[in-house]
Amino acid sequence: MNPITNAIYQLQEITLLTWRMLRSFFRPPIYWSEMLRQMDTLGVGSLAIILLTGTFTGGVLALNSANTLQRFGFANQTGQLVATSLIRELGPVLTCLMLAGRVGSGIAAELGSMLVSEQIDAMRALGTDPIKKLVAPRIISLVIMAPLLTVICDLMGILGGLFVAVSQMFQSTNVFWASAQEAINGKEIFGGLIKPLVFGFIIAIVGCYMGLSTEGGTVGVGRSTTRSVVVSSILVIIVDFILTKLLIATLLGYE
Amino acid sequence: MRVIPPAIEFRDVSLAFGERVILDRVSFRVAPGESKIVMGGSGTGKSTLLRLSLGLIKPDAGQIFIEGEEITDYSEEQLMRVRQKIGMVFQEGALFDSLPVYENIAYRLREQKADPDEIDATVRQMLKFVDLENAIDMMPNELSGGMRRRVGIARALVGTPKIILFDEPTAGLDPITARTICELALKLRDLENVASIFVTHRLQDIDVLSSEYVTQAQDGTLEYHKEEDKLCLINTRFIMLKDGHIIFSGSDEQMYENNNPYILKFLNRRG
Repeated sequence: MNPITNAIYQLQEITLLTWRMLRSFFRPPIYWSEMLRQMDTLGVGSLAIILLTGTFTGGVLALNSANTLQRFGFANQTGQLVATSLIRELGPVLTCLMLAGRVGSGIAAELGSMLVSEQIDAMRALGTDPIKKLVAPRIISLVIMAPLLTVICDLMGILGGLFVAVSQMFQSTNVFWASAQEAINGKEIFGGLIKPLVFGFIIAIVGCYMGLSTEGGTVGVGRSTTRSVVVSSILVIIVDFILTKLLIATLLGYE
Repeated sequence: MRVIPPAIEFRDVSLAFGERVILDRVSFRVAPGESKIVMGGSGTGKSTLLRLSLGLIKPDAGQIFIEGEEITDYSEEQLMRVRQKIGMVFQEGALFDSLPVYENIAYRLREQKADPDEIDATVRQMLKFVDLENAIDMMPNELSGGMRRRVGIARALVGTPKIILFDEPTAGLDPITARTICELALKLRDLENVASIFVTHRLQDIDVLSSEYVTQAQDGTLEYHKEEDKLCLINTRFIMLKDGHIIFSGSDEQMYENNNPYILKFLNRRG
């Protein structure tokens, strides 16, 4: 298969998987407990890396921007710059890139090993639909958890920025905070939450698809895992551009 | 008189993966209570036969019947109902790694939302059948290869299916453990009247399954007998697969008398 045909074929397969996943919600059973467990492992389990990512990104943003802003006499705007960059762009994208690395790879590896060790077939033989039991809970939990983790990342980033601005740039806490608040409004937050929702879906569906299309034993599992991280990361970055364009055109606009 | 349909029937079933032909117009029947031993080299489509019987994959052409019901064009939902009649023992056991032995065996009943007391009783009964009562709380990674297969058999037996599919259950096991597995298959065939397809390429398995039988004494103890000359087992039949075709089908006596060079080579005999 040439690369273009292959890409179209994979897109078709992912679309079919999505369709079957959506359809499964209208037919019992729905595995609520499995969904909760996935939210815990995929979401709560990623908390530590998201906290670190957010804090240091916010800090580095303040570090880089404060000097430049000072040169133009806008040092008191550091808070706004940090908050806007985080909520609009860096929070969603970095959170989801970290999730692609930690969670997407995990999903692909787990489903891939289940497939090569015939556990998926065993599940079907015992009367369970793997789409319902394995795919749907992972997708739903990531679609819910990715926006929540993004909020935490944003918050930690602003705190990180605040810490750097106060301790390194000797700005006042009040000035930073007041300026940051200017950036935080309903539209920005809505825009910043739509993105991780879409990214969370992409990461989960790509992870599930790569895992379930594993071929060639344990080597294949490694290959699926790598492919899952690469494809979902790239997709997150590309879709981020498209979503930003859409959001600017519809919601945010330029003043 | 009502005609009892075969437990499993394949009619002219063909399957190819891309250019590779796996099965080419294969037809056979497994009668209720009969053990069908499927032999053949690696990659001759033995496991494929089992996966087709369960509807895990679809044939390119031909028809598949389970207890007289055609399942060839069934949707996944319709197949779920048919699969309840069939137990499958996978090659390496295919136990769910994340669940302890107890939950692995309870899996089917949990999915059917059965009563917890019923689940508990069934799990203990199944573990007793495969003689693994002390492994009840172990995780699959703590089990040896033979124990994994036995748990796999216990899991397949939940719901007392009348059809069991064995996918090389003895491959890679020591002779003693392999014999234990074969004895389980004998118990199912002779005491529970279960129809089965038993995929293997070990001569020892073929010998045990075709020449021994088990009876249960009044006090419940099991006795294994050799068929010898006094009787002839008619509920065990053989199929030999080669290049997607059935090259032999019949009893063990017929197989040992067959002069096909491939069969002779397979059975380690000279022509």
